Amino acid sequence: MKKKIFIVSFIFFILILLVFFYLLIIERNPTELPSNLLNKNVPKFEADSLIKKEKFISSEEFGNEIVLVNFFATWCRPCLEEHNYIKRFSNEEKIRIIGINYKDNKKAAINWLSKLGNPYSNIPIDKDGRVAIDWGVYGIPETFVINSKGIIKYRHIGPITEKVYKKINLLIEKIE
Amino acid sequence: MVPSLGNFSLWLSLFFAFFQFFVTQKNSKLKFITIATIGLLVSSIISFFSLMYAHIVSDFSVLNVFQNSHTTKPMLYKISGMWGNHEGSMLLWILVLTIFNYFIFKFYKKNNSKFVSKILETQAFIAIGFILFTIITSNPFERIIPAQENGLGFNPILQDPALAIHPPLLYIGYVGLSAAFSTGVAALKLNDNEKIPWHIYMKPFVITAWTFLTIGIALGSIWAYYELGWGGWWFWDPVENASFMPWLLATALLHSLIIVERKKSLQAWALLLSILAFLLSVIGTFLVRSGILTSVHTFALDPSRGIYILLFTAVLGIYALMLFWTKSQKYFDNNYFAFFSKEGSILVNNVLMVVVCATVFLGTIYPLLIEALTSNKISVGEPFYNSTVIPIIVPAILVMGVGPLLSWTKEDKLKIFKKIFPSILFTGIMTILIFLFYQSYSAIGIMGIILAFWIISNNLLMIFKKNRNYSTSMIISHLGVGLLILGITGSSVWQIEKITKMQIDDQIKIEKYTIVFEKIDEIKGANYVALQGNFLVYDEEKNVITKLKPQNRFYPITNNFTTEASIHTNLLRDLYIVLGDGNLKDGWVVKFYYNPLVVWIWIGALVIFFGGIISINNNLNKLRTLT
Repeated sequence: MKKKIFIVSFIFFILILLVFFYLLIIERNPTELPSNLLNKNVPKFEADSLIKKEKFISSEEFGNEIVLVNFFATWCRPCLEEHNYIKRFSNEEKIRIIGINYKDNKKAAINWLSKLGNPYSNIPIDKDGRVAIDWGVYGIPETFVINSKGIIKYRHIGPITEKVYKKINLLIEKIE
Repeated sequence: MVPSLGNFSLWLSLFFAFFQFFVTQKNSKLKFITIATIGLLVSSIISFFSLMYAHIVSDFSVLNVFQNSHTTKPMLYKISGMWGNHEGSMLLWILVLTIFNYFIFKFYKKNNSKFVSKILETQAFIAIGFILFTIITSNPFERIIPAQENGLGFNPILQDPALAIHPPLLYIGYVGLSAAFSTGVAALKLNDNEKIPWHIYMKPFVITAWTFLTIGIALGSIWAYYELGWGGWWFWDPVENASFMPWLLATALLHSLIIVERKKSLQAWALLLSILAFLLSVIGTFLVRSGILTSVHTFALDPSRGIYILLFTAVLGIYALMLFWTKSQKYFDNNYFAFFSKEGSILVNNVLMVVVCATVFLGTIYPLLIEALTSNKISVGEPFYNSTVIPIIVPAILVMGVGPLLSWTKEDKLKIFKKIFPSILFTGIMTILIFLFYQSYSAIGIMGIILAFWIISNNLLMIFKKNRNYSTSMIISHLGVGLLILGITGSSVWQIEKITKMQIDDQIKIEKYTIVFEKIDEIKGANYVALQGNFLVYDEEKNVITKLKPQNRFYPITNNFTTEASIHTNLLRDLYIVLGDGNLKDGWVVKFYYNPLVVWIWIGALVIFFGGIISINNNLNKLRTLT
């Protein structure tokens, strides 16, 4: 009896160490939070557009082609950092980009884009952060990749870096 | 120059640790062991103070100083900043370890030379493990060439007095458990014919560890309470759990050592606890320093560190558990305890503490297990712990109240009732009074208050019973636990939270207080600028009772924002204000908390600490008379 208890607990101890070991050697980022919306349809919403007269209606924009959705604001420094990557996506013309302007000043946003260049094909305004809540955004910048059926395939929290840029490119090729 | 000296003496301490390991293993002459322990102590002191010096004079040729300091940082935080980062904190750990090592050596006498040598051997092995880890994966004396103009600064949420002394206290706790571990291993290695009262050696270490873990954890929670701005003081964060689990096992261990001492029973059980408690501390170190999970406490990510600590844990664990398996036979006994006896109550408490610990352990590693097996990410939070830990801890506290009043071996049930009748009465009266005062009823609240006064009244009863010699330290510590439960209950059951947007001159009512948002100022601190809200707090008679000034700080050097809650404390409640985002036009988001009795948590912890200190002294005296 004593022997059995000992062996079981010993195996348990080793097992836990193995789990830890496995988690250390695989490539993983503990700060990464997968979105609950992953592999689900994009949330429906309507909003004013920063650059167009007509309203932005999500059901018309998603579901036809691959779309990159980027939450940004002029007051957010990391958004400035990643702006070059967004522009690179835009220049390569592989993917349509929608920028959601989060809790921002309209004039400031227009200024910002005219100074830095506008990579976005449309920019719905999320004045009070309602849309961001629907998308489960917890801090901007955040970027989503949506496939041609309107299903969210990828979420990235924080600014896009070289590594993330490559990852998204690979993903685009894969889902195409 | 000084950093090179520090680096050299770090290597030197590695040498002395190896030296100590070999001479104690061979049970060599006292002369050699003396050289080893003193050499180890002195070299680790030198390397510790070399790094501290580099931090004080802001020597930015040292990578560690460059990454974690800045010339504008206040002096206190330059000093504490030394252990506010991973590499520096390892030096602190090693220093505490070698100080304990030296104290163990001080008990070396002719009649116990073999036993103490064995303790020192295991301690040396642990020291080798940690010094090697520091040198290989996290050398704090690494240089950068050319030396930098100024440092990168310091995470401002760590710039705090409570957090400055939190790590040293916690490390005394963890290292104390390492000494208990080594004593346990040495006891297992004894031959059957050697009769050494190992528990007398182990007890001072366990109590030291337990006492300092208690106050260390309490300081950490004070910090979380006023710095994180969430109005709470315990979040079941994995790293909080990592310190809580060894504390639970240390609690179980120190109580079972009482039975070992009096009844010569439970020896194998106590030895196993001493092994597990330290293993859990090392696993805690692993969780914090490997970057396997995220939390406010975790240091920079580096898998190589994780793999090293994991291997070290495996070696220690497999060795100690195997040793326990093969050598513990001589410590088993077949004694049975009566349920209604002092030892019965201690045993019940022991089992419950271990069950709580296992529950917390499960909750902590469950997300990791799930992620490894299914690659889904989940998190286990407060609801799990509240619904599992509370039902186990309630009977433990009930038993804790009455246990010390019971006699050894067996007690008549009627006699017990007679003994505790005054405290039942007192508990009942106090509970009713409290509820008349707060006018708020909930099952958990009633239970918490009953438990708190159950402990308090039983311990007061013991103070007034002069004819019995109860241990003073025990009464004080248990009283502290009673106060702690009072604080926990009050602050979690009756907390009021209000979040609102406020313009200047707006007012809000919370409980019986009216709070007016008077103005907002810009102020300048040593290395930050801040927006400071001024709030006037009026009571029912329209008298100003206090001015609260929560801040929103910006630290330009590290580009960080922090919130400084402003708190008005008295014995009955805390008023707690946090200033959120906002501007003059739209107003500011302000969070208000009314936290009843919360201060009793820290008072309780402090009282427990004092009880512990008295007990350390008593047990050290016992050990001294023995040797």
